[in-house]
Amino acid sequence: MAEIKYLSEHYSKPEFKTLDGYKKHGGYEQLARALKMEPQKIIDEVKASGLRGRGGAGFATGVKWGFLPNNGEPRYLLCNADESEPGTFKDRLMMERAPHQLIEGMLISAFAIKSKKAYIYIRGEYMGPAAILEKAIAEAKAAGLIGKNILGSGFDCDLDLYLGAGAYICGEETGMISSLEGLKGQPKLKPPFPAVQGYLRKPTIVNNVETLAAVVPIIRDGAAGYRKYGTEKSAGTKLFSISGNVNKPGTYEVPLGYKLMDLINIECGGLKPGRKLKAVVPGGSSAPVITAEECEKATLDYECLAQMGTMLGSGAIIVIDDSNCMVDVLSTISHFYHHESCGQCTPCREGTGWMERIIHGIVHGHGNEGDLDLLIKIADNMKGRTICALSDAAALPVLSFVTKFRSEFEYFIREKKSQVRGGQIYAQLHH
Amino acid sequence: MVTITINGKEVEVPEGSTIIEAFYQNKQDIAHYCWHPGLSIAGVCRLCMVEIEGNPRLQIACNTQVMPGMKVNNQSAKVKDAVKWGLDFHLINHPLDCPICDQAGECGLQDQYMKYGQYDSEMGEGKVKKHKVVDLGPRVVLDSERCILCSRCVRFTDEVSKTNELGIFNRGDRAEVGTFDGKPLNNNYSQNVVDICPVGALTSKDFRFRQRVWFLKDAETICTGCSTGCSVKVYHNKEGLFRVKPVYNPAVNGHWMCDQGRDVYKFVNKDARLLDAKVVSGGKTEHMQATELAKRLGTTLKGAGKSVALVLTGAYTVEEYDAILNYFKSEVQTSNVYHWINNPENFDTFDGLLLRGDRNPNTKGLAEALSKNGFNGTWKELTDGISTGSIKTVVVAGPENIALFPDLKAKVSELARAAKLIWLGAAKSADLEALTGDVALLPTKSYVEKSGTFVNHAGLRQTVKRVTTIVPGALSLTEAVAAMKGEDVLAQPKQQAGVASPTVGAGRVNNEFTLTRGVW
Ligand SMILES: Cc1cc2nc3c(=O)[nH]c(=O)nc-3n(C[C@H](O)[C@H](O)[C@H](O)COP(=O)(O)O)c2cc1C
Ligand code: SF4
Ligand code: SF4
Ligand code: SF4
Ligand code: FES
Repeated sequence: MAEIKYLSEHYSKPEFKTLDGYKKHGGYEQLARALKMEPQKIIDEVKASGLRGRGGAGFATGVKWGFLPNNGEPRYLLCNADESEPGTFKDRLMMERAPHQLIEGMLISAFAIKSKKAYIYIRGEYMGPAAILEKAIAEAKAAGLIGKNILGSGFDCDLDLYLGAGAYICGEETGMISSLEGLKGQPKLKPPFPAVQGYLRKPTIVNNVETLAAVVPIIRDGAAGYRKYGTEKSAGTKLFSISGNVNKPGTYEVPLGYKLMDLINIECGGLKPGRKLKAVVPGGSSAPVITAEECEKATLDYECLAQMGTMLGSGAIIVIDDSNCMVDVLSTISHFYHHESCGQCTPCREGTGWMERIIHGIVHGHGNEGDLDLLIKIADNMKGRTICALSDAAALPVLSFVTKFRSEFEYFIREKKSQVRGGQIYAQLHH
Repeated sequence: MVTITINGKEVEVPEGSTIIEAFYQNKQDIAHYCWHPGLSIAGVCRLCMVEIEGNPRLQIACNTQVMPGMKVNNQSAKVKDAVKWGLDFHLINHPLDCPICDQAGECGLQDQYMKYGQYDSEMGEGKVKKHKVVDLGPRVVLDSERCILCSRCVRFTDEVSKTNELGIFNRGDRAEVGTFDGKPLNNNYSQNVVDICPVGALTSKDFRFRQRVWFLKDAETICTGCSTGCSVKVYHNKEGLFRVKPVYNPAVNGHWMCDQGRDVYKFVNKDARLLDAKVVSGGKTEHMQATELAKRLGTTLKGAGKSVALVLTGAYTVEEYDAILNYFKSEVQTSNVYHWINNPENFDTFDGLLLRGDRNPNTKGLAEALSKNGFNGTWKELTDGISTGSIKTVVVAGPENIALFPDLKAKVSELARAAKLIWLGAAKSADLEALTGDVALLPTKSYVEKSGTFVNHAGLRQTVKRVTTIVPGALSLTEAVAAMKGEDVLAQPKQQAGVASPTVGAGRVNNEFTLTRGVW
């Protein structure tokens, strides 16, 4: 099996961006169908499809929708288009090439969960995609697809775009809710979970762009049709964004369960000549790194990667070849998490900085013998001890890099230079 | 009620309690910084870790509700290690300021370290430096470096004072507490943030650097700043009172008190007080002990009848009112008794939280005592009596805290029109000192120097116990009355010479707080 275009079937067609173009390819037909269905039937269909959240955690979408309490309170649907995890850029492709697919998916989802107000929260740096979405939303509003009495069904739903100020933490669902509420973008303590008390303390569903877009083909093809792709527990297709040392980095859609090495070698044209694969970060910078050897066995589904002690995450694959120094890579990653910690929880606030300073010390030739064990201890004590998963996201790369590539770190500490790039001075990108 | 097991012991706790509340209700120790029973749950310090049987992950006790049959412990090696690490995270960027930190001696960080820490720090990297001595507003100074970002102060201004002046700015380990542009921390409850700050990050301008806490004793009493009657602790030593903090009292003030109440102690200290008794008559001034003056007055007042009037303020205790009213009724034999209401325009106002316009601790007690004795004279009767000369002698049990009596000057000149003015009071007052007529001044005890009962605005009777003596020789109204009746009242020695007493603001250098937020 190779790359397939299921979700992304028409992404290469420029007219797909416009309402007319989208309609030419069957756009908004599924919305019309869905509006004639019982909302619960849609939820059941999404459940049966096995669709799992594409934002990182992989939680079953239909199950999440089922957590909404029946208390008569208004409900909100939030589309998480923050996409700030280093390595992740697949949502951007969808928003740029198929804004109406996202809008259609959101309207169907909003109808299913009985929400009359939906927002797309898009990361601050995504000015281009934001402009495209803005235009698409305006078109849809003008065409009566958003607003009152959609397609004469009696269903009202408003949909708006909200541009964040550019903070990774606003991608965390409760951080996003805080930001949308006009508060400092920082996560909220759970419980209560957003499905029970989210935006404005009302029941709220937060879903990723890709998740919501996938609802359209699920309505079209039914759960069974969707399940034609993927594995039993990881149903459907998924967009993977691949960056790093491959010949053709980019976004590719493959069915879940696809072989990681096939994606690298077939779709991405393999590595640069003469280069050897060293490691892959399979699910965005927070996913534990796997070695070249592990990559051989890896399939791109939630279960296989979990079994390997890492995760599919947002489907952001970062390929690292043997020209890279793992100490440098970790230094960059750690800098990111230190910079992005919201600072609420003490272990994350202090731990991210502490780890970065230790790793920086190593990179600058000031490493100490005990540094690696200390890093592991710090990371261990940051894991599972905070309000949101950013702390884990900062700790996991440290743990996996230091454990799996320990000798490279030890070499650096001992020799005060990189095993890979020798005496070359570390490019001081950050300071 | 729900039965759970805490550290192996079965206990019953109310349904819906959090685990940390269950620990507290059952007097079990648990580390924490960000949780405060009077504020919402933040769950950020991550120190209140507990192990729950059947749960592989440690949980925070402050945001986890009890469930029937739950078995929790915070004594396992796993929890202890987590708490130790939690502390270490708190300490890695914390300055070693303790020797100069005003919180030393009552610092949560020191306390927790002694209880749960006691390890060698593994932090070898440089510390993140933050701002020192940031002026947050008229009463509070922030030392950002010591702040552990528990967010209690921010939650206080959001949830209790509802003034929203504070925020945490910036992210990660660059985060700092601060005020919004042009909005200093300036509300009548601002000093509560100093109390709830678990470390020495927020300090009160009034108190900082004036005493080490271990040189102070504390005692519980009631604030006399208004008719709410908040439960408080006063901190004192032989030099006087230094500060006041609220004591939790669910029936009155909850966890808080107002900033004006915190200033009450200042009027108790010697330099604000009437220190000895004196009589001014025929251009001559005579000093004497208060008991002696009281005895002398007793002879002139006995049986003097309706030519004598008594003016009372709401600052005295129920017991004192009983004694003096009884004396005036049966021995002086007058019913000319009048209530001096200090600020009639806003006497009935209330700020919605604690502070009431009636700035007396015992207006209700006074009203009860007056009506019990059938005294209901109006102020006009008094002034008419003075004008016509039917009232010749006015006895005043005056204010303790003259700052709360804006009409003092006017009242003094109004009452001094009587042939003889006998003024019993705790406060030194220039207006009284300036009188040249026939005047007697008798020093009375302040609220921390006597025991008795106050009835607050809601009718709640609260008793206070003597805390200390500030002005030796000053009398309570009860003692003064006893002396007037000729009884022997233990005469106290005159004040010791040479004992300094703290003055409001004395010794503070202007422009002490120089750094402002945003300057690195
Ligand atoms: C630090 C952090 C950043 C996150 N950033 C994103 C993001 O950019 N986009 C996203 O869809 N989910 C992100 N998530 C996951 C969301 O919290 C949430 O799980 C997701 O939006 C749910 O959507 P889904 O069920 O469709 O996956 C992030 C989580 C964390 C902890
Ligand atoms: S884990 Fe980090 S990013 Fe997440 S809420 Fe806590 S401090 Fe903020
Ligand atoms: S806050 Fe506590 S630990 Fe920190 S300097 Fe002050 S007394 Fe020491
Ligand atoms: S200043 Fe004090 S109360 Fe406020 S966040 Fe810092 S440590 Fe907590
Ligand atoms: S007291 Fe529970 S996390 Fe701070």
